[in-house]
Amino acid sequence: MLINFNPDLNILKLNGVMVSLHCHHYNCGLVNALEEMEGVDVREIIIQAAAEEFYVNFKNYMQQHLEDKTVQEKLRAAADLYRFMGFGRLNLSQLNELGGEACADSSYYVTGWLAKYGRRKTPICYLTCGFLSGILAAIYGGTVDKYRVEEKNCMITGHNCCEFVVLVREQCL
Amino acid sequence: MPIDSKKVIEIASRLPIESNERGIMAAFGVYAAMNYNEFFFKVVSRVIQMLDYRTAEEVEKKLYDAVLECGYHTFHGARTSMHWREYILPMINSPEDEVYALVAFTNVFGIGYIEVEELIPGQKLVAVVKNAYDPGRYMEEYGPQPHGRCYMFSACTASYMDLVYGPRYPTGMGTFVSKEVSCRSMGDNICRFIAERIKI
Repeated sequence: MLINFNPDLNILKLNGVMVSLHCHHYNCGLVNALEEMEGVDVREIIIQAAAEEFYVNFKNYMQQHLEDKTVQEKLRAAADLYRFMGFGRLNLSQLNELGGEACADSSYYVTGWLAKYGRRKTPICYLTCGFLSGILAAIYGGTVDKYRVEEKNCMITGHNCCEFVVLVREQCL
Repeated sequence: MPIDSKKVIEIASRLPIESNERGIMAAFGVYAAMNYNEFFFKVVSRVIQMLDYRTAEEVEKKLYDAVLECGYHTFHGARTSMHWREYILPMINSPEDEVYALVAFTNVFGIGYIEVEELIPGQKLVAVVKNAYDPGRYMEEYGPQPHGRCYMFSACTASYMDLVYGPRYPTGMGTFVSKEVSCRSMGDNICRFIAERIKI
């Protein structure tokens, strides 16, 4: 991963794309604040925004650095990116073009949410759903909304790991 | 004389803020993560566009509070870190120096360059940002905005004052309140924030 920092402008770039660092008080606080608003489907909004960003940025990254790599190598690179950004550790080895399952034994949003708010009854890894949707569409080709991702189990509710089910949307089959 | 902000940034940018093998980035008593600026813009702006003016203001107030907590705890973690004590504390000779140091320290997180325009000790801080990410994107996507959109910098501006001039940590959060008085998303040429002590 290539990090570039311009100290005169406070601009941080990851593989050429502007990024910033935020703590769990903000990242989880953002989710919490939006979840409190009636009529706002924050889950869908976060998944969509994350899918769009990871789709376009990982696609560009693959074109520049992974062109001659296998699908498994690209999936490992995606997991490395996810880990590098501080979102946790994902196993993507059981995914294929038709979807499949992914799991995480470490999750930023679970860790941050537990530290700030404690347990909750519903999954919290919305960003991860968007990440999976975006990188799979980038790797296998298709539109950004090709895959639908659900977090089946989440460590925030007491499970041992976060489990994600990935399906190809019907209209994309 | 204010401390050397460039030196603070140079020192702070060498800090090893990295994720561990489990993909968790712990630093200064908080959990950090790196994310695309465009992600945050998309999430917040899309929500705001769905809401009426009053409800959108409520959301932005909640986001201001989330950043206030973020800044208050992160900057406190930073100023009590061994790295700060070793390299930055020797440059600090007054509470005002500490404000300048904290503002400078903010300039390693990739959110745009914030600097002090005016500081009245214990009472008021005016900070400015020329290159915040969101205002330009609001203009591109939605046109001029009815009020400033930089809740993030606004809350940071208050958090510096809370930490330096408020009651001892962790009880000082909210001693100051900040308002964005000009914003590039409204057509101004700079984003400006004024934090003042809340009058009781």
